[in-house]
Amino acid sequence: MGYSGARGGIDAIEAAEKLVRRKRLNAECEWVSPQQIVGRLRLAVDRVMGEAGIWDEELTAIAIRQAEGDLIEAVHLLRSYKSTLPRFAYSKPIDVDELQVVRRIVPAFRNPPGPQLLGRTTDYTGRLLELTSEQASQEESMLLSSLALTEKAETVDSIASAQDTQPRRLLETLREMDLLVDRRRDDDPEPFDITRTPARPPASRSARLSSMARAETGALVNQWYRNILGPDGYVHEVTLGEVRHGYLALSIEHPLTGNTISIGMVRVTEVEAIEDLNGIDEQRDRFDIGYGLCLGHNEKKAIAMANLDIACHRDNGRSQLEQSLLLTTDGLDSSGFLEHLKLPHYVTFRSMVERKLAVRKSRTSERDS
Amino acid sequence: MTDLLNELGAAHEQQQFGILDEYSKREIRRAILTAVAVPGYQVPFGSREMPVARGWGSGGLQLTLAVISPSDVIKVIDQGDDQGVNAVNLRRLIVQSTKVPETTTASDASIVQSRHRIPEDGLDEQDILILQVPVPEPLRGVERDMRELSRMHAEADYSKMWVSLYEDKVRNGVITQTTGYPCLVNDRYVIATTPIPRWDIPRLDQSPFLTLFGAGREKRIYAVPPYTAVTPLTFEDVPFEVEHTPGASCSQCGSNKTFLVEIPGPTSRWVCSDTDWCERNSGKA
Repeated sequence: MGYSGARGGIDAIEAAEKLVRRKRLNAECEWVSPQQIVGRLRLAVDRVMGEAGIWDEELTAIAIRQAEGDLIEAVHLLRSYKSTLPRFAYSKPIDVDELQVVRRIVPAFRNPPGPQLLGRTTDYTGRLLELTSEQASQEESMLLSSLALTEKAETVDSIASAQDTQPRRLLETLREMDLLVDRRRDDDPEPFDITRTPARPPASRSARLSSMARAETGALVNQWYRNILGPDGYVHEVTLGEVRHGYLALSIEHPLTGNTISIGMVRVTEVEAIEDLNGIDEQRDRFDIGYGLCLGHNEKKAIAMANLDIACHRDNGRSQLEQSLLLTTDGLDSSGFLEHLKLPHYVTFRSMVERKLAVRKSRTSERDS
Repeated sequence: MTDLLNELGAAHEQQQFGILDEYSKREIRRAILTAVAVPGYQVPFGSREMPVARGWGSGGLQLTLAVISPSDVIKVIDQGDDQGVNAVNLRRLIVQSTKVPETTTASDASIVQSRHRIPEDGLDEQDILILQVPVPEPLRGVERDMRELSRMHAEADYSKMWVSLYEDKVRNGVITQTTGYPCLVNDRYVIATTPIPRWDIPRLDQSPFLTLFGAGREKRIYAVPPYTAVTPLTFEDVPFEVEHTPGASCSQCGSNKTFLVEIPGPTSRWVCSDTDWCERNSGKA
């Protein structure tokens, strides 16, 4: 009833909505506050903020809750909310060297300049499902919160010095060793704004990078892996030079006074990927660098992005890698289009059936003649 | 500047008329003007994320919201049906955010947003037909590379398309293209006619109304302005064929002059896809 030709579509829709709301709001368990989602599902919140292109933990938590944990749906809620808001200003360009790191690793050297700072990671923790009782977990939580203050002070102390929170980049060391292709440019082109102009190949590097920064994490990881192992094979495995997670300050120019004013901090993940240039027309005695940066703590995404960035540069339009990156990695595009298959299609299907019969009729009359 | 900020701030204390912010609407209207000025050319635009998913009419919705004003009357159909679930949802969003009156009668509407059908009657010079487009690129079946596609359109090089139609005819005896039949607009650009059925193509040719095509996911807008030639690609000796089943007529209104869809079963029957037209004409035939 109400799916397509049948009358009463609005009643059916409202009944479906009521069912969703009732089950969501009236589940037989405790209420979940946005603070709980931000505090306990940090990586989900970060991932959604990155894919939505919005920095707002509380709004994101509300979206995740409304979407019942469907992260692409949460991204959709946030992006369509953003469509209702006018854009007041553009933030000023950031020098990423100002990133205050809380985690930084350099896989390329055992003792790189600056610290190897593991920070908050489960990379080296056995993936064992913690089947501790709820009571034990809560007791641990209470104990930890009483220790939190002293521990926080210690952490700040241990990474207090500026060269530790803003370590030199491995990139600089490699430059000093004369091991890098120099692709720095001295003009300062405006970055391509993918939210205002659709990015199409051939696109500028800023268009590719912003598309990847907003891409669906799984899509980007898959693009990377299918290029490593799949039939396309445009990606060459990189060595990571920097994997960083930290805080960046954002500022805008005040519309009235013209002064630079700070509007807050965002957390980002930043990756630099060292590429071994091995093509016949490439500088075989040097490396090149791919770059990845996305909102929140999302290392999978930033690493895939950095590797795909350099792969796309080296590909230089020979394959359709750029088209794949620009056009097939947005989560809203792909999942929206996939799900549209659920819509009624009986006009197109009627037309298809008619052509099947036309082909058959044409064959029969050919045989008869 | 502070006035501007205040104004924009104030606008956001109430619900935004037509969901999108005014800057976005202006940008979309500019793209529409380009599309009307160059019939059939796919104009790229900064497609916004809408409260409906991409692939669910987000392009059509943006066009409607960019051109609608409080004096308009809106009709929304999906597969020709005003009560299709997605039509209902889109209409509800449009009406809730603009407060414009809604109708199911095409002749009473000034804007018709449609998925895959042109209403059987009622559109005239004052009206805008907005078609939701899933795939705006007519040549995608013969070419995947977007750089090459833009060259082909720029040079009006449609040879691959002609070859594919020729091969189709030779292999299958008929041209098997079903809906979204490729058409030449104003003797210049080939367009994808959304997936409207072939039945509707002759009704697009030299039509008195403006037709806008919105592809939200693929971020393209194109247009067929009033009284513009829309010619389906076919060969001189291969007539263009619309959907036709001999002997079929609507089991409700008796019509055999409308686009019919089949209701399969032991005794298969047919009904009009334009449900409103069918209701208005029931008992007349």
